[in-house]
Amino acid sequence: MPFSATPPAFVRRWWPWIVIVAAALILPVILPPFRLNLLGRFLSLGIVALGVDLIWGYTGLLSLGQGIFFALGGYAIAMHLSLNSLEPGQLPEFFGLYGVKSLPAFWQPFTSPLFTLVAIWVIPALVAGILGYLVFRNRIKGVYFSILTQAALLVFFNFFNGQQKLINGTNGLKTDTAKVFGELVGSDHMQRNLFWLTVLLVIAAWALCRWLTSGRFGDALVAIRDDEPRMRFTGYNPTVYKTLVFTVAGGLAGISGALYTVQSGIMSPQFMAVPFSIEMVIWVAVGGRGTLLGAVLGAVLINYAKSLISEQLPETWLFVQGALFLLVVTALPDGLVGWWRQGGPGQILAMFGWPPRTATYPGLDLDPSVRAERDALEGPSSTDSTTGGGR
Amino acid sequence: MTSLLELRNVSVSFDGFLALNDLNLSLQPGELRAVIGPNGAGKTTFLDVITGKVRPTQGDVFFRGRSLVGTTEHRIARLGIGRKFQTPRVYQNLTARRNLELAVGRRSPFDLLFRGLDGSSQDRVAHLLGVVGLAPQAQQLAGGLSHGQKQWLEIAMLLAQDPDLLLVDEPVAGLSDEETERTGELLRSLAGDHTVLVIEHDMDFISSLDSPVTVLHEGHVLCEGSMEEVQSDPRVIEVYLGVEDELDDGTDSTSNLHDRLSSELQP
Repeated sequence: MPFSATPPAFVRRWWPWIVIVAAALILPVILPPFRLNLLGRFLSLGIVALGVDLIWGYTGLLSLGQGIFFALGGYAIAMHLSLNSLEPGQLPEFFGLYGVKSLPAFWQPFTSPLFTLVAIWVIPALVAGILGYLVFRNRIKGVYFSILTQAALLVFFNFFNGQQKLINGTNGLKTDTAKVFGELVGSDHMQRNLFWLTVLLVIAAWALCRWLTSGRFGDALVAIRDDEPRMRFTGYNPTVYKTLVFTVAGGLAGISGALYTVQSGIMSPQFMAVPFSIEMVIWVAVGGRGTLLGAVLGAVLINYAKSLISEQLPETWLFVQGALFLLVVTALPDGLVGWWRQGGPGQILAMFGWPPRTATYPGLDLDPSVRAERDALEGPSSTDSTTGGGR
Repeated sequence: MTSLLELRNVSVSFDGFLALNDLNLSLQPGELRAVIGPNGAGKTTFLDVITGKVRPTQGDVFFRGRSLVGTTEHRIARLGIGRKFQTPRVYQNLTARRNLELAVGRRSPFDLLFRGLDGSSQDRVAHLLGVVGLAPQAQQLAGGLSHGQKQWLEIAMLLAQDPDLLLVDEPVAGLSDEETERTGELLRSLAGDHTVLVIEHDMDFISSLDSPVTVLHEGHVLCEGSMEEVQSDPRVIEVYLGVEDELDDGTDSTSNLHDRLSSELQP
């Protein structure tokens, strides 16, 4: 951090949290409802990104099918909301279009709010668990795993698209005209509450992932990513670990989908389209694989950029997104957070003539070759972010 | 005494190529055994069969009288068979200490999530770091260690697993003379409590182990005996020297053996 005076220790340790809490408190006051709603949506996408980081960044499972679980969670809440504000005996409106006279049996449990709250994450987690177990047990990995998840995504996409009589097919389910506690889901007041809820759940999801990845369990995930056969010969069963994290990521995707649905007002099979699930991977890559914070940051920043750029120049966004991905692959392999942690900002400043202050000998501390040697000795993680090279 | 490990008539065929051909071998508990053989003799496949990576086409493998065929790798490992690989395979993105912490203790997700390492496991990790001289590098990423340090870290991981049977594939490849000597001492000290099987090309190292030697050739046991007996066996000489003649640029290990065998034969 290029501060001229050293801030107190707790600020240096907790500053990302201080920024997040401050932003969560201030933004709802200063942002217009439309922008706040956008931010809430993008934050909820941060939860699915956390799941992607867990399975891809830490465990090496590149899933291109997280949209399945995202949409399942979204449909669960959308079905509940479609039923919630009906008079007894009434059916959601779209059923009339297709001549459906009675509620399909699988809709019945979604009249219960409690069931829905559980279903939002349990159904996607279960589907992920079963799919994951079958794939991992057969030792399908690498690019084959990615292709398989994408194929599964297409199966779900086509199925949901074709089921007009069950879930309104390609039109999806609308939620913003539904009522909860006698209030419209789409109202400003409700949306602000949903924003708070999203912030809380993002933090909870982050804490869960952090807990999973910090101890020996996290070490086991990294070890599976780096050398799975070696883990087997040490007596670990990677299938169990992979199934477990894939299940967790599925559950997180479901929660994310539900939060997104209530804030965007619609859930449709479009969220099971191929590009959306690939975008999730791009958010994590840009934010920083294996950093957790980077996943949330990537989801929010890229989507905000997408909405801003699309408002001005609608046709350029895809190019910008492609360029971002190329930039990350070629120049920032550890994403924005990885770049920050490796002293990226200091290097940029040094390039423009502001070498970072150092406590010892700048000539030594800033010399790239000395730094490289020290990195090799101490390990790259110990690189202090105040040091930079380039002069 | 019943044998700890027994391979009976084991054959492994890869698309018609017999990597192992009617191999018979047994190890007694507490034994230290060296296995040598020219390149392509089937040494690594032999370890793959024991550890469950490759399923034998024919024959059976028994560990403590129980067949291992069809058992998955992690279960075999949990039965008490540990393996060190030819090239050091440590988890590059974890510190040396965390590498060891994964090898020691229980291995279910529940244990890893909800139970920390108990005191005795932590002591074991600290002790092993000391044994292999990596205590100063404990917090360093394993990927940044030198080749020799990685070899030793992997040996420490094997010990942390506390297996009854240690399968050690080329433990001294790329080590300095001093490191080689210390590795030999370590393996000799392990025998007795553990059963150790060493595969190595370095003949000086093998003779320093002072253990029975099994020679593999074309997937079966050519002969067994002490180092002296094996070296004076005309079949062994033929196998090794024959290989040497065919390959102009024989590897270091085979040329070492060549020199050694020639000097043995001269008087």
